[in-house]
Amino acid sequence: MSSTSTPCPSFGELADYWTSDIAPADAEQIEAHVFECERCARMLAEADRLRTGIGALARAGNIQAFVTDAVLNCLARDGVRVRYYALNPGESVRCAVWSDDDVLVTRLRGNFAGVESIDAEMRLDSGEQWGHTTDIPVAAGATELVMALPAALVRTAPQTPIRLTLRASDGSQPERVLAEYTFNHEGTLDRRTNSNDRG
Amino acid sequence: MSACEDGVVARAVAATDTDEATAAETELYRRFAPRVRLFGLKHLPDRSSADDLAQQVMLLVITRLRAGEVREPDQIGSFVLGTSRMMVAGQRRGERRRSAIIARVELYEEAVQPTSDLALDWMRIAPCLGALRERERTILLLTYYADKSAPEIAAAIGATAGAVRVGRHRALASMRECIETRRAS
Repeated sequence: MSSTSTPCPSFGELADYWTSDIAPADAEQIEAHVFECERCARMLAEADRLRTGIGALARAGNIQAFVTDAVLNCLARDGVRVRYYALNPGESVRCAVWSDDDVLVTRLRGNFAGVESIDAEMRLDSGEQWGHTTDIPVAAGATELVMALPAALVRTAPQTPIRLTLRASDGSQPERVLAEYTFNHEGTLDRRTNSNDRG
Repeated sequence: MSACEDGVVARAVAATDTDEATAAETELYRRFAPRVRLFGLKHLPDRSSADDLAQQVMLLVITRLRAGEVREPDQIGSFVLGTSRMMVAGQRRGERRRSAIIARVELYEEAVQPTSDLALDWMRIAPCLGALRERERTILLLTYYADKSAPEIAAAIGATAGAVRVGRHRALASMRECIETRRAS
């Protein structure tokens, strides 16, 4: 129990302490408050566990996200085993996941001019939805999106064509289709046997 | 003791006249060692250095309290922070202090059990991260995994630095609420 002379910051403001762009004066202000306030000290510790948890998930290859080259560089540094595919709009690719892969990355190329945000949907050949995400950010001039999937997740995918559709989330109804790609998923391959496990 | 003001605990430590660890010392350690460790995580290169810092700072603070060298026990938080800053500055000057882990520290740490509300299970983080909008997930990954600043993230995703900071705060609030919900269920 303690009393403080300054108001408690929000959780987000405390979490800023762990970012690389916090101003030294702001960091010192948070430190001065936290050393007077046990509740905020606990929240700061919680923010630390959150950031280290996010890092641990990434290092374990457990990220399902649209990422940037900065994230790919960190995965490379951390020894995460990444398998790459690259597709142009309308293309299909025979693809597989290997037993020692951690993450599968696909560079989805396309013309995204004038688009700030994209929704993505993956559907199996049967029409069943296999994945969906909204509000993928698009930088001006971007000619590709980088999709990362945990290899563990891809190993659970059925061996069937999976169609990925990107739509502009600009409020148009129906959403404007930007590009479609097809993954002809051929299962999990094992380097030791050099065969897949389709039986 | 746990409900006392920090200054009351500090004065109780100062009044100690035994060589054995007291309840007041343990309580002071419980309250401040985690904060010194967090400070160390920000300013030192790794977690073991932060752990060392927490032990060294708390030993020095308790020693100085017992020696009557802390003039304002009610401002003990400021004193601990100042000691932390001094020690980190000393380490940066290459004067790394390597004190042995003495029995008293072990006694403190045995007495300080982590509270259940601090036990943030990483398994809860994954689904909560997955539940975010893609933009927010990207911002968190770039911030806390790739260690990118808001302006760098803004350039990468086509946003302003201010929008990145707002998105980060919103994402963190969502994550915290999601984790609390999962912890309660």
